[in-house]
Amino acid sequence: MNSRVLLAIAIAVIGAAACAGLPLILAGEPYLMRLVTMFSLLLVLAASWNIVGGFTGYPSFATGAFFGLGAYAAAILQARGLDWRLALIVAGIAGAVLAAPVGYGVLRLRGHYFAVASLMLGAILRELTTGWSDLTGGGMGLTVAGAGGDPERLAAFSLRISLALAVLTVLLGAAIKWSRLGFGLDCIRMNETAAAGIGVDAQKLKTYAFTLSSVTSAIAGGVYAGWIGYIDPTDVYDVMWSVKPIVAVLLGGVGTILGPIIGAALFVALEEIVWRNVLSFSSGGLGVLIVLLLLVLPAGVLPSLVSRKRRP
Amino acid sequence: MTVQITQVILNGVLLGGLYAAMAAGFSLVWGVLNIINIMQGSAVVLGSYAAYFAWRYTGLNPLLAIAVAGPLLFGVGWVLQRFLIQRVVAAPVLITLVFTFGLDLVLNNAMISFFSADYRKIEGVFPTAPLTFGALTLPVDRLLAAVVGIGAAFALHLYLHKSRLGRAIVAVRMDRQTAELMGVRVELIYAMTFGLGLAMAGIAGCLLAAIFPTSPLNSAHYLHIAFVACVLGGLGSVLGAVAGGLLLGIVESLGSLFVGAEYGTTVAAVILLLMLFTRPQGLMGRAGYE
Amino acid sequence: MQRRELLVGMAATLVAPAIVRAQGAEELRIGAPLPLTGPLAPEGQKQKRGYDLWVKEVEKSGGFQIGDRRVPVRIIFSDYQSATPRAVQACDQLVTQQRVHALFSPFGSGAAKASSAIAERYRVPMIAPTASSREVYDQGFKYLFGTFTPNETLTEPLGDMVLAKAPTIKRVAIFSRNDLLPLALSAEMKKSAAKRNLELVFDEKFAIGSLDFASALTQMRGANPEWVFVGGYVNDLVQVRTQMRDLGLKPQVLTMIAGPAYEEFTQALHAAAENISSAAWWHPAVRYEGVDIFGRTESFVQKFQAMYSAVPDYIEASAAAAGAILQLAARKAGSLEGPALRDALASLDVMTFYGPISFGPTGQVERLLPPVFQIQGGKPVVLAPSSIAQGELRLGIA
Repeated sequence: MNSRVLLAIAIAVIGAAACAGLPLILAGEPYLMRLVTMFSLLLVLAASWNIVGGFTGYPSFATGAFFGLGAYAAAILQARGLDWRLALIVAGIAGAVLAAPVGYGVLRLRGHYFAVASLMLGAILRELTTGWSDLTGGGMGLTVAGAGGDPERLAAFSLRISLALAVLTVLLGAAIKWSRLGFGLDCIRMNETAAAGIGVDAQKLKTYAFTLSSVTSAIAGGVYAGWIGYIDPTDVYDVMWSVKPIVAVLLGGVGTILGPIIGAALFVALEEIVWRNVLSFSSGGLGVLIVLLLLVLPAGVLPSLVSRKRRP
Repeated sequence: MTVQITQVILNGVLLGGLYAAMAAGFSLVWGVLNIINIMQGSAVVLGSYAAYFAWRYTGLNPLLAIAVAGPLLFGVGWVLQRFLIQRVVAAPVLITLVFTFGLDLVLNNAMISFFSADYRKIEGVFPTAPLTFGALTLPVDRLLAAVVGIGAAFALHLYLHKSRLGRAIVAVRMDRQTAELMGVRVELIYAMTFGLGLAMAGIAGCLLAAIFPTSPLNSAHYLHIAFVACVLGGLGSVLGAVAGGLLLGIVESLGSLFVGAEYGTTVAAVILLLMLFTRPQGLMGRAGYE
Repeated sequence: MQRRELLVGMAATLVAPAIVRAQGAEELRIGAPLPLTGPLAPEGQKQKRGYDLWVKEVEKSGGFQIGDRRVPVRIIFSDYQSATPRAVQACDQLVTQQRVHALFSPFGSGAAKASSAIAERYRVPMIAPTASSREVYDQGFKYLFGTFTPNETLTEPLGDMVLAKAPTIKRVAIFSRNDLLPLALSAEMKKSAAKRNLELVFDEKFAIGSLDFASALTQMRGANPEWVFVGGYVNDLVQVRTQMRDLGLKPQVLTMIAGPAYEEFTQALHAAAENISSAAWWHPAVRYEGVDIFGRTESFVQKFQAMYSAVPDYIEASAAAAGAILQLAARKAGSLEGPALRDALASLDVMTFYGPISFGPTGQVERLLPPVFQIQGGKPVVLAPSSIAQGELRLGIA
């Protein structure tokens, strides 16, 4: 058994135990449950982003766009009576359906252009969602049917499912990284032109990465919609859903497997501390965090702790 | 119908003059430092506040307040670049983008803290009756602001091509290493450029303050405009920013007429994407600004 | 090495114990999550002003009367940064950790609806001072109360009044910000127009954050409307009105909600504000004689002006009213316990500075009639309800 398999098994086992046990341990502590759920959702988005931004080296700001898309897809379907499990699956499919063609086009761009284009996706989707009010409720938002009921059961349920999704996404990331796809993406990250020279079909691989990343982001959006019970375009298409995962991964270590986990945990903890203590400057606090982080620890926490030769 | 369309195009041109001012500095910074300055929108708003407070306490006309906002924002830009941005200027796109995003969060929230998010309006400075030409109307405030905006952009362009420092900036933009070998102090140029970029943003802010209400909540919208106008017109080229701004204004107005007023950002974003796919260097720029 | 130290320092800060408030002497604790930062910050600040004024009044009179004792009041604020999920989280925290006796809801219909589940679960009464949509109150909850009347109460009286004054009006144009409240109001306006067989010649929305309305207004001009209804917030409405003037668009009646209530509106527009009609859930020009801590509407307005050097608007008044109403309920209940407070609120039937207060079966206030007003001579003049009317509707705009 090599260390990779051990790591994967460890993640799976710890994750499963947490899914089963945490809601019981934390029962009666709705605040903590909420915190862990936020952490899980952020982890899903961070691990998803890591596939495109970390493994492939493409600075994507589209995570939020697919998050919002998934939230709306799931909410609309549930409003039409679809079972939540199916709704989540369809949300994921919706993410893929949008990501594949759009990704194929947008991934032809590089660097800044790619970043700007990916950023615009969210803005476009937000406006289209707001405009198509017959379907989405437009600016009035959408209440998610089937959410509601006993808040504590809902909280436990949301915690389980978001944590499970987070574990799956981390494992997906590991699977990609250790596979041929991951190898190809790594080549692309290091030198795309040279990679093409050794026979890597860059366009295809990038699109796979982008699509997979979008599926998990979309499902996360669906989980979020069910959890909160009410969504509106400015909330789920907020650019912060694209930026926070990036900051989390930057905190933890870009391109690593554990990086998103550590980063998301640190981020949520820091955010809570700042939110609780600095009443009216919280977003500014996040800005300060970002600036300090990038000046002091541009490689993230994990690489600073782990010695150089073991850095994955 | 032709009257309607002509009116709409005219509206678009006037808006475009403002957009040109918003985009010119942004384009310069992107072209020379290879940094997308996410703070652009907030810098514009800061300029608007400078104009607003100058008006409130001294009655100064916002179009004249550019003499206040320009140097103020230049100073802010210089300091920011010299002490903060310089540290990450050579880092990958991801880092610089997130970094300026973080700076923007700080600036924007600081403005909300100090000035509150309430909208402030300058009023009573311009005649309210619009100029009329047959069935077409031209608001006086927008006309003057557009003229000043385009004028400022042209002034920047002239500075870049006629003055020593300006030409040094252009040299760094075209080929940093050679410029360095020729004795240009690149760090100084970077600080200068960023200062100029924010100064232009401040000027644009004054123009906007003359017409629109001011609030930090507008900054994301202004950033979008700068993006799209820049990409349309071509990076690094101030004249390109002017062309891009005008084009964006016109297309946005026509889009509003034909597609619907609630789809303004989508129209702009779709244009942006189309442009990136087909001609990323824009109308007047040069390729290679990824 | 420096980096390691930094990390250790960060870890130490994280482990710092959470702040837990001791259950000290008896006091009435109210939780008020507000958007103090982010896009909704202006509205959040208004709510806070209302609350702060009320708390100050209570302090001046030595506290709340509960049974035979006087109890101090404390509002615990929490900034949820205009993000609905945080608002819900804040409510939860306020109830479970700060042990508040009552909640004042976050701003707006969406956040109020989402948060009301918390109130219901923990049986802590929640008063929503800024939620008007009926959908907020349709979950069958017993612990939610709202001081804004449903949206149609703003548009229906206008419909009657306009047609009474100008029965020949037929062509209506509706232009709304693509946002929760303005959309809800326009939807009601549409219904009011259809009910009266008016012709809808223009019906468009504008994006949130729009700066320029010239194209849409040019189109509207082409449709030649006689009554124009615009839904949005102050800055949108000022811009729309300005550009209408620029384009020479002059309907017989121009109604704008929700903006003309504010001084900023008339200040920004000067003569262009003349004859713009509007409605609001409350207006400083109304005159009621209440049994609450403020008493007469004029007293409330004066006290507000003394504290903030500005005239109160409907959000600020509603927030202060929430406090005053809660106070009356606590006095009636003689207790701070959730269910007792809740029952007292549900059975209230009183006059306040804000207007007559009694809550319907869904928790929304029902007997209150929102004032319809019009800017005349640079000042808002109340046109309805007739008991407090100060003038008549005038036609035509500048």
